[in-house]
Amino acid sequence: MADLSLNLAGIKSPNPFWLASAPPTNSGYQVQRAFEAGWGGAVWKTLGEPILNVSSRFAAVGFNGKKVAGFNNIELITDRPLEVNLKEIYETKKKFPNHAIIASLMVEPTQEKWHEIVKRVEDVGVDGLELNFGCPHGMAERGMGAASGQVPELVEKQTMWAKEVAQTPVIVKLTPNITDITFTAEAAVNGGADAVSMINTINSLAGVDIDTWDTIPNVAGKGAHGGYCGPAVKPIALNMVAECARHPKINVPISGMGGVSSWREAVEFMLMGATGVQVCTAAMHHGFSIVEDMKDGLNNYLDEKGIDSVMDLVGKSVEKYSDWGNLDLNHQIVAKINNDVCINCNKCHIACEDTSHQCIDMLKDANGNDILKVREEDCVGCNLCSIVCPVDGAIDMVEYANGKPPMTWNERQAAIGAVSSCDVDLIK
Amino acid sequence: MSDHREFEAEREKIDFLLEQGYVIKGVTENLSGAFVEFVYQGNDKEKSEKERLHVLHPDSRKYFSTILVQQQRKQSVK
Repeated sequence: MADLSLNLAGIKSPNPFWLASAPPTNSGYQVQRAFEAGWGGAVWKTLGEPILNVSSRFAAVGFNGKKVAGFNNIELITDRPLEVNLKEIYETKKKFPNHAIIASLMVEPTQEKWHEIVKRVEDVGVDGLELNFGCPHGMAERGMGAASGQVPELVEKQTMWAKEVAQTPVIVKLTPNITDITFTAEAAVNGGADAVSMINTINSLAGVDIDTWDTIPNVAGKGAHGGYCGPAVKPIALNMVAECARHPKINVPISGMGGVSSWREAVEFMLMGATGVQVCTAAMHHGFSIVEDMKDGLNNYLDEKGIDSVMDLVGKSVEKYSDWGNLDLNHQIVAKINNDVCINCNKCHIACEDTSHQCIDMLKDANGNDILKVREEDCVGCNLCSIVCPVDGAIDMVEYANGKPPMTWNERQAAIGAVSSCDVDLIK
Repeated sequence: MSDHREFEAEREKIDFLLEQGYVIKGVTENLSGAFVEFVYQGNDKEKSEKERLHVLHPDSRKYFSTILVQQQRKQSVK
C-alpha cells in the first residue's frame, strides 16, 4: 500500500484530496462529515466580512446526457460572522488534528484588514491560509477576489501584507480570468507566497432559457455572471498548472484544482506539477463519499506503478510540456483502420473529407465488402478520425517511420536565419 | 494531382539539385511559401552558379529545411 500522505509547503494531510473553498466547506458540520468520509484536508469557505446571498445560485451545464459537465455559481463568500466560523474551525481541528484545515481569506486590499484577519484566523489553529484572489463574481465588483487577482501588483502587495504577520504557510489562489496566469503567480511568489493554488472559477453565463428569455440562473428574472467549474474546465486548469509548474520563477508548490472528479484527474494534475488537488463540483454532485474511490484508485495506481509515495508523482510530466516551437516537425503518425473491427459507419470518412485532409477512401475489398482505407501518404496524423470513431479499436494512430531526423520549428528557424535570404523578386 | 503528388514533385526538384552538387545557401519565406536558393559546389563549368526554387507544399518546406539543418550540422562537425 502506497503512502498517500501529502506535504504542501509544510501543510500535512493524510491524503492529497482536499475539499476546495466552496459550499461543501461552509461549516464545521460539513467539514467534519468530509473528514469522516476520508478527505485529507479542507479549505474553509472564504472568510471575510459576512455577505448577503441571492436565490437562486447554481446552474449546471449538461452535455450529451451528462448532467453536470460544467457548473456555474453566483454564491459569494461566507455569510456567517467570523466568530462563528472560527469557533467551528477550532472544534473541527481539535477533533481531526491530523487533517489539514486551511482558511480561505478575502478582505479589502489594505494592510490593516489583512493583518487583522490573518491574526484572528491563525489564533484558532489553522494549518495554513489561502488568499482568495480569484472569486470572479460579486466580490470582484467590490474590488476583492478576481478584481485584485487580475492585477499583479495587488497580488504581490496583499500577499506581502498577509506574510508580514502569518505564522502558517500562505497559499495564494489565482484567478483564471487573466490572459497569462504566470504573471500573477510570479507576483504571488514575489510577495512571499509559500504556495499557489489554481484555478478559481471562470467567468460564465450558464445559459439563457429560450422560452422565457431569462438567464440561467436568474434572480427574479435578472442574471449576473458567475463562476464556472466542473469537468469541462479541467483542460484549462491543467494547462495553467503546467504553465506555472514549468515557469522557472514560480518555484513554490501548486495546489491544483478545476474539474478533478476522480483519482485519474488527480494523477494528471500531480504529474503536471500539482502537490495535491482540491475538489468541489464532484463532491457537490455525488457527495463526500466519492473520496473513497479516489483514494482506492490512487493507491492501486501507485501500487501498479511500483511508486511508494504519492509525492513521487509531483511534476513527473512537467519536462514533457514545452513550447510548440520545441516539438519535432518530422515526427509522423498516421491513422490505421482495422476493418475487422470497423462497423462501416463512415464517420471517419465524413470527418476527414469534410473537415480535415481528405485521406480516407471508401473502397470495396476482394469480396465486394465496403471497407475504409487511409492513404497514409496524405494523412497528417491529426487524430480526428479516431476521435469521432464510435468503436474502440477500429482506428489506431500509429507511428510512421519516415526516416527523417528530428527537427523542431526553433531549430528550423535558426538554420534558416543562419543562411542569407534570396532575392525573391527574381523568382517567376 | 493529389496533395502527396505535389510534395513528391517538389521533393524531386530539390533532390535533383542536391544530386547535381548544389547546396542550400539562402531561404526567404513569405506569404507565397518559401524561396530557396541553391549554389553549385562542384567543378562542372556548364552548371549555373545559382538555382532558385519556389517551394509551396508544407512537407516540401519541412524537407528542404531538414536538409539545411543537416547541412549545417555537417559543416559544424568539420
